[in-house]
Amino acid sequence: MNILNNYFDGEYIEFKRDGYYIKLKVERIPEGYIIRGKIKGNLNKIELFDDTSEEELFINNWQSWSPTKKIKVSNYKYNIPEDWKKSAKYSAHPMPDYLENNIISDYFIGKKNKVYGFLTSKVAHPFFEIRDNKIIACLEYFGKYTDKYIDIEPLIILEDKEMEELLEIYADYVKFENNPEFIKWNPVGWSSWYHYYENLTWEETLKNLELSKEYNYEVFQLDDSWQKDIGDWIPKESYPDFEIIANKISEYGYTPGLWIAPFSVSETSEIYLNHPEWLVKNENGNPKVAYINWRKNIYALDTTHPEVQIHLKNIFLNMKEKGIHYFKIDFLFAGAIHGKRYLDVTPIEAYNIGMKIIREAAGEDFVLGCGAPILPSIGYVDGMRISADTAPFYKINEPDFVYPNAYYALRNVITRYFMNGKWWWNDPDCLLLRTEETELNEKIIEMYSYVSGLLNNMILQSDDLSKNIRKDILLKSLELRGGIPHVKGLMNDNYYFEIESYNTQIGNVKMKVDLDKINFGIEYDINYPLLKKKTILREDKRLFHYYEERDNNA
Amino acid sequence: MLERRFNPITGEWVMVSSSRQKRPNLPKESCPICPGVLELPGEYDLVSFENRFPALKKDAPEVKKDSNILIKDKSQGICEVVVYTENHNSELSHMSIHQIEKLINMWADRTKELSSYNFIKYVFIFENKGKEVGATLPHPHGQLYAFPFLPPRIQLKIESLEKWYIERHSCAICDVVKEEKHQNERIVYETENIMALVPFYARYPYEVHVYPKRHVETIYELSNKEKKEFAHVLKIITNKYNGLFNMPFPYMMMFFQKPFNINKSTHFFHFHVEFISPMRGPNLIKWIASVESGTWAFINPVEPEHAAKQLRDVEVKIDAI
Repeated sequence: MNILNNYFDGEYIEFKRDGYYIKLKVERIPEGYIIRGKIKGNLNKIELFDDTSEEELFINNWQSWSPTKKIKVSNYKYNIPEDWKKSAKYSAHPMPDYLENNIISDYFIGKKNKVYGFLTSKVAHPFFEIRDNKIIACLEYFGKYTDKYIDIEPLIILEDKEMEELLEIYADYVKFENNPEFIKWNPVGWSSWYHYYENLTWEETLKNLELSKEYNYEVFQLDDSWQKDIGDWIPKESYPDFEIIANKISEYGYTPGLWIAPFSVSETSEIYLNHPEWLVKNENGNPKVAYINWRKNIYALDTTHPEVQIHLKNIFLNMKEKGIHYFKIDFLFAGAIHGKRYLDVTPIEAYNIGMKIIREAAGEDFVLGCGAPILPSIGYVDGMRISADTAPFYKINEPDFVYPNAYYALRNVITRYFMNGKWWWNDPDCLLLRTEETELNEKIIEMYSYVSGLLNNMILQSDDLSKNIRKDILLKSLELRGGIPHVKGLMNDNYYFEIESYNTQIGNVKMKVDLDKINFGIEYDINYPLLKKKTILREDKRLFHYYEERDNNA
Repeated sequence: MLERRFNPITGEWVMVSSSRQKRPNLPKESCPICPGVLELPGEYDLVSFENRFPALKKDAPEVKKDSNILIKDKSQGICEVVVYTENHNSELSHMSIHQIEKLINMWADRTKELSSYNFIKYVFIFENKGKEVGATLPHPHGQLYAFPFLPPRIQLKIESLEKWYIERHSCAICDVVKEEKHQNERIVYETENIMALVPFYARYPYEVHVYPKRHVETIYELSNKEKKEFAHVLKIITNKYNGLFNMPFPYMMMFFQKPFNINKSTHFFHFHVEFISPMRGPNLIKWIASVESGTWAFINPVEPEHAAKQLRDVEVKIDAI
């Protein structure tokens, strides 16, 4: 049957467009609408929906390190240094040139009392373009052809509440749609990166393990440093083999963790030299540079190639077998660059294929995503970096895009708070608690740490533990965890935010934080009896949970 | 037998649990939840444990699904006995505010823990007090059922609150709190953050609802101040009940929180407590008979405004918050 000459199949209305067919339905939900549909044909950029824009918008860029922030449309500039653009390439966006010349927000966008957002990114890259005073919801299919209907990425429109509340509701619907089953454990640990960077040695690892005894970490993770090359994921000569690394860390009672950039291959690696057919190609059939780092060209593995799939799987199975059970997987955007692959799929489909292989190989071990496209990673990672790299400095007037900087890192920790506990555990990047060999003053150290704790994020410290360390800040940050946080002020002109968290380990806590003035205040709840719990499993397999009052001063 | 069966006529699940027939019936000499007796070998402060006679079990036996008309499923869930104190001769109305405050934190922690299981959809905390409502043990305790499905009345509450939200963009209970404050006829007791009232729509003669004034979806979102006031209100209401006809007053106390793990938006759900009692006067019982059981339509023989006044007039002396 037809409605106004458009075919209606009882659920969807079909529309014919230039080169493709799309059929759509609109679902009413308490807070607004969801547009669902199916599409077939020659697929490129599809403009699905538009609504009026406003001068002030809340935008998001595609991956872990990218900013999420309020902008004023009339004075928005993509203000990124030229030399950085040359090396960043696809770390900026799956369509870097398009990002440079347009105002776009990936996955979701907010205005004062409205949030628009896509619920999945399985095939297309979903984004919003601000043009001609309109917010235009777009799906980029990168030239995919399909003669069978496939689901479009559903679009949700939420309205009539404060934007922060709508973002929390958006996160709920994304969760309902993707149904991620991440680990319930929200880790506390140590990472090597922000003191040692690429210069961590096995001797320094052993030194820090010994010094870590009083910290009660759960995870001990060696970052970028241990590997032979990017793409050659075996320990370099100055490190022992995986088994010895894992056993030594385990001796201290920690889960052994390693950093790896699984989709990245450097031009000096053996993988690059021996398997050029494993890499994503440009139009001329040559390996395509995904980004430049470590003073090298970095290429991307083609996750649709059968041999690459086996290779990827074996990397993780081998490390697991040797005792590594925490994986920080980095520079993941490389798995989603546009280019030629073994299979004719979109970059987003290729990314999903690669992440699924890693998730399945890692099994129940903890996987922390980093440098990762946000929406397509849901369901594959247990934790996710949601900010640019932090740093031992805090610079307010630097470019706001993917650069290491504690200031912008902390901004994103707050502006992406609503994802935490619903899609994964947010990783606010490491806490730097040393008071020497750092430009961070103690106020910044406290502010960063308490915000991370209050937002119930992962807590990983990154210091040489032989330095002067504010351990008390770590303990206080941990006490602030466990609650249900809400943030206000995401549309403020300055970076002034109010965070309120219900049911932390010490009751409800409010924090006001001003990132520009480097100032914060914390209001604690009134005294209330706190309980300690002991659970006993009886012989008949019944659980008994004993509660008694705990000494708050203990 | 432990299984649940689906009624296609009403859409409800019925839990079949034949082990519950073996429950103790008012033991005369020893109490199974006193320290050192059957369930709890040593001294304790508060404890919540899995029921020996559960209607739902975490490791429920698999059931053979051999019909697509007569549908059944395994009764996977958790039933816990929630013991308020080791003092056998106490009850909620006698307990210190401090003990009730600890109890509230235990209820909150149980909710948080049980809702972390993906198969749990609803955590229902309740207390049956008095033999008139089927309590088998006098020792102060309640129970909780962590359901693998949404019970029908919970489903109805969600649907009604959702409908209200869609039509008015507000929470029904938040609106009721404001209107009851404005009309000021049915409030029994009130603190800065908590309101106890005989609701305008009371189904039972001395039904009392307790509403936090702030919109919270679960018990664990209450602030410490709200929890302190909540403890105070629970003590006041249970004492007013006992004072109403100068007799130990039987009641059912039921907590309603948002559902969990149902992949549906429920932020419009407002945590609240319902007290209901079969008493309609001194030694007079309102029986739940054909109309109520068959149609879910209730006939309340006492005007809620009158019941509220009666309860307000019962003097209860408790230290101020």
